Amino acid sequence: MDKNVIETEITMGTVHSAAIEPYRVRLFVEDEIVKDAEITVGVNHRGVERIMEGLPVEKANSLTEKICGICSGVHLWNSVLVAEKGLEVEIPERASYIRIIVAELERIHSHLLYLAHGNEVLGHETFSMRLFYIRETVMELLRMIGGNRVQYGVPIIGGIRPRAELDEMKVQKIREGIDYIRGKVKEFADRFTSDTMIMSRITGVCPLSRKDALRLAVTGPTLRATGVEFDTRKEMECYDPFEFDVITQDDGDVKSNLFVRVFEVFESAKIIKQALKNLPEGAVVDRSWEMQDTDITKSYVEAPRGTLYHSYALEDGRVRNVVIRTPSIANIGAMQYALIGHHITDAQLGIVQCDPCFACTDRAIEIIKRR
Amino acid sequence: MGIKSYARARAIHAMLVYTGGCNGCDIEIVNAVFSPKYDAEQYKIFLTWNPREADVLIVTGPVTKQNKKPLKEIYKAIPEPKLVIAAGACALMGGVYKNIHGDIPSEEIAGPVEEIIPVDAKIPGCAVRPEDVLARAVSALPKLLEAK
Repeated sequence: MDKNVIETEITMGTVHSAAIEPYRVRLFVEDEIVKDAEITVGVNHRGVERIMEGLPVEKANSLTEKICGICSGVHLWNSVLVAEKGLEVEIPERASYIRIIVAELERIHSHLLYLAHGNEVLGHETFSMRLFYIRETVMELLRMIGGNRVQYGVPIIGGIRPRAELDEMKVQKIREGIDYIRGKVKEFADRFTSDTMIMSRITGVCPLSRKDALRLAVTGPTLRATGVEFDTRKEMECYDPFEFDVITQDDGDVKSNLFVRVFEVFESAKIIKQALKNLPEGAVVDRSWEMQDTDITKSYVEAPRGTLYHSYALEDGRVRNVVIRTPSIANIGAMQYALIGHHITDAQLGIVQCDPCFACTDRAIEIIKRR
Repeated sequence: MGIKSYARARAIHAMLVYTGGCNGCDIEIVNAVFSPKYDAEQYKIFLTWNPREADVLIVTGPVTKQNKKPLKEIYKAIPEPKLVIAAGACALMGGVYKNIHGDIPSEEIAGPVEEIIPVDAKIPGCAVRPEDVLARAVSALPKLLEAK
């Protein structure tokens, strides 16, 4: 090795000023170029699966909502879907539509948070603050529907909470809110793309190749940014009545990641518009189901960050063998690979581009050695 | 009023520590309270990530065992006088992670925050409402300003 090249290790975390959430990054740097990266999680492991074991199913469902504060609604929705699949509960169509409206509102707020956080890391605080301001509209809509800004808890087994029923006034408010967000995000996207400084800063930075993305089992917008057309929503029955496109970009760099999220906000707005237009009449909850023992049932849902997996069995109305796989845990691999070979100043951007959420990520995992 | 409290009354720096909650309270505090809609900066409260610069420590989350030591060290690093605000149900009493369980209780939680560092003010809620954060933070400030 060349003696003039200085090899150092830069460690960040677990509590660090550059990262809001606690995680540990080790960057092995040669001449300001990252040669290897290692991300360690485990600091905020709370063992939600373990404390869910043996709880009544309704209680266990509401506990899944506390896994993540960004995609709380999707966790609850998926957990409820597992129970409904196992118990073969048919839910009213209106409930299914309202669940989708909430899930898409959540996707919009998660993507706006991502864009705002990305801009903060880029050093563009004006855009960041504007996006946070736009995001407040979604949060207020969610508060209106569910009664809380973060843990709104809309789905229950058999439908949705009657509190979350949408009347004419609420429908009108959601419509206005969506129009406002769509207009504002469009303005943001126009200004963002016409800014040559920003575009040159984000183009070609920390790309992830399609091959690596598939090998690392990356999911969600991070996978779609590398050009793979995969969206769990297209495989879910409840999304059948809606027409929307799966957004893909080609490069897998920061630019592609940002663009995928911007376009997905428009697609989500499209889905909400369709849902509000064709909202079926009728009851929102069907409580006539009966508890019985089930085998382990699986369910997949497209969370804002990718495919979310929940599975459990029911025994005397209690939950057994809980497994939860969050999308962020797959995307950790993408974070590590995207950094290699790039400048140390891009490292934070490379981590943020994969939309990290370490509250979701800290799951108990078992590593199985393959022969 | 001494020169220190005079200066401090015009720029109070709050630091947020995340100790293993669900992210909800943190995002509410960082992105709602310090963003244009609620705008804590109009009350001269600024966000910092440096403990040596901070006057107020806002703690969220139930404090997992791994986070106990860093939290203590951050508390030590903040210069006197200092104020600790525990925000959210997890920080106040351990939240769902400590108090709800099926067959096996969680072994990961060392909290609530009160058992680890002294707490001056508490904000209830799961997740905290931005209005509550502002009201409580502003009402706790005299204690900080009266200290010599």
